[in-house]
Amino acid sequence: MSGQTHILLVDDEATLREPLAEYLTKQGFRVQQASDASQARSVMNAFNFDIILLDIMMPGEDGLSFCRHVRDKTEIPVIFISAKGEELDRIVGLELGADDYITKPFSPRELVARIKVVLRRTTNGNGLQPGSGTIYQFSGWTLKTDQRSLTDHEGVTVPLSSGEYQMLLALLSRAGQVLNRDQLLDITQGREAHAFDRAVDNQISRLRRKIEADPKNPEIIKTVWGGGYVLAGDVKTL
Amino acid sequence: MKRLLPKNLVGQLLALVAFTLLIAQAINIALLYRGAQNQKMVEASVSAVVRIAGEIERIDERGFRKPRYRRDGTARFRRYRPSVTEESALGAGHKRLSVAEERAARAFENLGVNLQAVKVARVDTLPLNMKNSVIGMRGERRRLRSVGYHKESDKIDGFIIISAQLKDGKWLNIASAIRHNNPRLIRSLLFQTVVIYLILLIPLIWLGRYISRPLKALTQAAENFTPGSRALIKEIGPPDTKHLIAAFNEMNERVGAMLDEKDVMLGAIGHDLRTPLAALRVRVENIEDDDERDRMISGIDDMDRTLDDILSLSRLGRSKETAEKTDISALIETVADEYNDMGADVSFTRSERITADIRATLIRRALRNLIGNAVKYGRKAVISVDKTVNKPDDKLVIHIDDDGPGIPDDRIPAMFDPFVRAEQSRNRETGGSGLGLTLARAIARDHGGDVVLENRAEGGLRASLILQS
Repeated sequence: MSGQTHILLVDDEATLREPLAEYLTKQGFRVQQASDASQARSVMNAFNFDIILLDIMMPGEDGLSFCRHVRDKTEIPVIFISAKGEELDRIVGLELGADDYITKPFSPRELVARIKVVLRRTTNGNGLQPGSGTIYQFSGWTLKTDQRSLTDHEGVTVPLSSGEYQMLLALLSRAGQVLNRDQLLDITQGREAHAFDRAVDNQISRLRRKIEADPKNPEIIKTVWGGGYVLAGDVKTL
Repeated sequence: MKRLLPKNLVGQLLALVAFTLLIAQAINIALLYRGAQNQKMVEASVSAVVRIAGEIERIDERGFRKPRYRRDGTARFRRYRPSVTEESALGAGHKRLSVAEERAARAFENLGVNLQAVKVARVDTLPLNMKNSVIGMRGERRRLRSVGYHKESDKIDGFIIISAQLKDGKWLNIASAIRHNNPRLIRSLLFQTVVIYLILLIPLIWLGRYISRPLKALTQAAENFTPGSRALIKEIGPPDTKHLIAAFNEMNERVGAMLDEKDVMLGAIGHDLRTPLAALRVRVENIEDDDERDRMISGIDDMDRTLDDILSLSRLGRSKETAEKTDISALIETVADEYNDMGADVSFTRSERITADIRATLIRRALRNLIGNAVKYGRKAVISVDKTVNKPDDKLVIHIDDDGPGIPDDRIPAMFDPFVRAEQSRNRETGGSGLGLTLARAIARDHGGDVVLENRAEGGLRASLILQS
């Protein structure tokens, strides 16, 4: 990837699409707009894109169907932008192979962060695409990426915040690899650490409370002195 | 009487038929009994007539017997023979049976016996002077003597006395016992009744179930009616019932269609409001003044939350999310962390692991609302979990205690009404739609639980989210 990240923004609402394109351009992205699926298809023939931001409810072909088309043809990551906020819609979107899902109204900063996280995951992550239905098994736990659900060996669901989920996913997809705070922030939030940033340590300790038998003596997420964190133990990827 | 009636259709049908059958059979028994009784009387009369006719024939041949005497000089009576008297044994005190008299007279005529008069009467107790002139007793004679020659309920049903006047003016009198009806008659009738009833029972039970089964299914469907479930009931049973079920199914279908329409409409409203809100949210980023921008962002977030609350409330019970066994402590922690990240004072010490079957998204929302209230109105939230292992009604109670002023007890029930908020002025500063508690309680009830508010003795309010564990 050289130069600017090229974004395809597909949304039928010009009132949202135009200011958003403007904002993203200001943030240093190159943005192409499409008001529906057919326009998006033709734009895709003309340009190469790094990521697609896709509305679900559109007249004509809807976002879900277009996402399926994109998945069949290309590897371009997709983030859904939708007004439908129900959990099930989220799962349907992720199962279709979308990489993330953000509901309207959203903070544009949050969107930018998510774009960066998705790009990081898909381009730098050794070809990993955890967005599309990967299942990780580790130390008796199961993490399903299409539902973003973590279950223990008894099948009990343990709710995670999205920060915790991103953190766990980052560690799982790089199991055995020591990741420092900057790397983790970069992978999970697409941003750089400020001085005295406790965000990573916070997430890790919360995660440990939920998955470690004894959070004070962690067996799964271990601290590497001076280095950062590492996910110990076997990880099976299904 | 009402209490004795069976509760269901089959039972009532069976009881009714049993009752009717019993009455019919009772009438039947009474009629048969009377017929049989008549028969016995005729039998008794006939033997009496025959005996008198025989005696007259003998007298014609050999003249009257002389009385015999025992050695001690007492008269020895011949048994079973008509007594011969100057006056009829039947005096004015006896109620005579004219029909039987006519019949007897005709019988004598047919037998070729000429008589001056015939008297017939029925008595319950045998006159003493006729003790030796009684027939039709067979083995009962001795027994009869011991009980005193009168009507005995189970053997002798009284006596027919026939008194016939010979041409010479003397009377021949004979008593004939009317034997009691065979008790087997009643027994066999009762047996018959039971057999008929048992035979009837089979089609009756079948009929009852044929009618009541579809009705029961319908009742159950109406009781467990979940709007829009569209579970159709099979159209079975008699035509009337089938029509009823068809109408119910149709109604169910219409309700489902209406709810679907509502969902589509709500989805459209959600979409149409969220999209401009999103556009606004993007544009707000262009505002230079940080304070101004933050205020607008919080305003937009507030609107979004209210919209969310309204949409979830109206969609509750139609959620497509399935209940899953979830770690409740982890869920509470997640929500508590959210608030702590926003700088609120929310504490939760997890103890043992507690799980429950819940729709996590909804319960999370309920918790968010309750904790949000505690933080907003009570400065802080202290969360604790109680698990009562009290089978089979295991309950899981999540307490959220705050440090606020509490709510006057009489205002507590109103707090659950939509758009009612703790402070009277609809002050937007504190935010909130006034739907938080309404929604939390609706979610809890959707899970078979509830939300309860109470003022704590040590001050502050305690909100309890009760779940089935």
